[in-house]
Amino acid sequence: MNAIFAIVTGILFGLGVYLLLRRDLVKTAMGYYVLFTAINLFFLAVGVFNGEVAPYVGEQGQPSDPLVQALLLTAIVISFGTYALLLGMINVASRRFGTIDSDDVDHLRR
Amino acid sequence: MNNVAVLGPIFFPFAGVIACLLLARSNRIQRFVGLAAMIAAWLSSLVVLAAVFDQGVQVYRVGGYSPPYGIALAVDLLNGLFGVMTSTVMTAGALYVVGSKDKCANYPAFMPLMLGMATGLAGAFYTGDIFTLFVFVEVMVMSSVGLTAISDNKLGLEAAIKYLLISALGSLFLLLGVGAIYASFGTLNLADIARALETGERPLLAQHAALMLMCAFLLKSAVFPFHFWQPDFHTTSPTAVSAMLSSVVVKVGVYGLIRLTTLLFIPESQILRLALLALGIIGIFFGGLGAFRTHDAKRMLAYSTFGQIGFILVGIGWGTPLALAAAIIYAMNHALIKSALLMLTGAVASRLTSKSAALAQLQGVGKEMKGVSLLYFVGGLALSGVPPLNGFISKLALVQGGIGAESWIALGLAVGGGILTLMYMMRTWQHVFHAEPEDVVNFRPYGDSLIAPAILIGLCVVLGVYATPLVSAAQMAAAQLGEPNLYITAVLGP
Repeated sequence: MNAIFAIVTGILFGLGVYLLLRRDLVKTAMGYYVLFTAINLFFLAVGVFNGEVAPYVGEQGQPSDPLVQALLLTAIVISFGTYALLLGMINVASRRFGTIDSDDVDHLRR
Repeated sequence: MNNVAVLGPIFFPFAGVIACLLLARSNRIQRFVGLAAMIAAWLSSLVVLAAVFDQGVQVYRVGGYSPPYGIALAVDLLNGLFGVMTSTVMTAGALYVVGSKDKCANYPAFMPLMLGMATGLAGAFYTGDIFTLFVFVEVMVMSSVGLTAISDNKLGLEAAIKYLLISALGSLFLLLGVGAIYASFGTLNLADIARALETGERPLLAQHAALMLMCAFLLKSAVFPFHFWQPDFHTTSPTAVSAMLSSVVVKVGVYGLIRLTTLLFIPESQILRLALLALGIIGIFFGGLGAFRTHDAKRMLAYSTFGQIGFILVGIGWGTPLALAAAIIYAMNHALIKSALLMLTGAVASRLTSKSAALAQLQGVGKEMKGVSLLYFVGGLALSGVPPLNGFISKLALVQGGIGAESWIALGLAVGGGILTLMYMMRTWQHVFHAEPEDVVNFRPYGDSLIAPAILIGLCVVLGVYATPLVSAAQMAAAQLGEPNLYITAVLGP
């Protein structure tokens, strides 16, 4: 189970970094979200270290840690808010600067 | 001790956010409600600090669950002092907004976001739980991004996108560090983590957690390799906001680094401190020299923040009680001086129709403004550490810390770097307030209100002439940091 988690987290992390480094700002934002998903998955993996059964419902076996799932929910809400804010700002930027190519949105560097 | 007052500096701004959102129709009332909320937060932060002085570490268990299971807010002298610093400067910021002529200050979202920033800051300082720290830091980041994106400066949006991306990545590393710590020790409470680390046991992920947390905090306080977003972000935001960003928001990282080296990773702190010392010295020179080649008064102050954060990091890097006290004094004084200077620059720039702080446009604008000129001069002297102002006290404390740590090369470099500050501050002062205007500049006879910066500069003078309370408080705080067991037993019980 842990091996699957590790592999998937690694793949998602790599995908996220790749997307983050694109010039297209929307893809950059997507890259951020994929990275956050990778880290959420890492958090979930922390919880299933000891047990893989749902807690509190009386299933047989060692239950997984419920605290990380609560943390995960908070983290997902935060990542969702950040992603929405980022996309909203990119939307306004595309109208204000006429482009979403990060190489052209560089007025502060000139 | 379950002290409800600890909740005050977090609760009042948050209540203010809700009240301001409900009052979105009337901008005037909104501003005053915001100011009232900040004053209430300021008073309660003073109450908390007084309680810490009287009875030691104050703890509030949220929801009545005892730590390590529930979330605890824990305030010792270090974060008590930082909390007072934040609420003082944020109150001055709210006062500046009341008298601000910026267009964006009329938006119904402005005051709620400003108070949201105060909530996030106070929460990040007061919490004793590392995941809650992450949540509050995110609250602070989102509010400041929103404030910069709606700035009068059209390029604020670009800086906001840049900062949100970088800072969100920093938060990812913070979260990864939190996860690594939870995977190693099964707890999120700072005191409980410290107790687990004290045993000397180092699971595979724990040292990586130290590295990731350190990177996240360095990014939040814009230290050299993670600095590139800061000048853009601090320059394009509205004046009241940039004064907050450059003074108190960057201190979250400083606070995190102090906690990291004195409470959590004490055995590893030798290596961490060496890195902080090196980064601090790089920051002093990078900031000082960078400030010289800017052509914008606000951008110069943003670069100067690198240098001043560098001085604080050098203090943390030496790590002796004297040097830590110096770092705390330096952090508090820098917050007052830098916010006042940015407000004064913004107040001068607000008389131009373009509201730009570019030196070419500001040249000679302040020639008739004797009061602002005097305040800016005093602030510049305070920043560069001339007696009898508070900047001198912080520099003196830092030099004493350096002598105590017997780190002569670092001390020499730090003092040498201080001279740079005086040079760039006086260059800009002459340019703005004494040079003849090049051609006829159109500027209005009125601008932003000067009450807030005047109060802050007044505080700078008072803390310079009558420095004993702050110095002794900082020394007590540093002594408390030397005994992490005080904090741990106060939170967890013996």
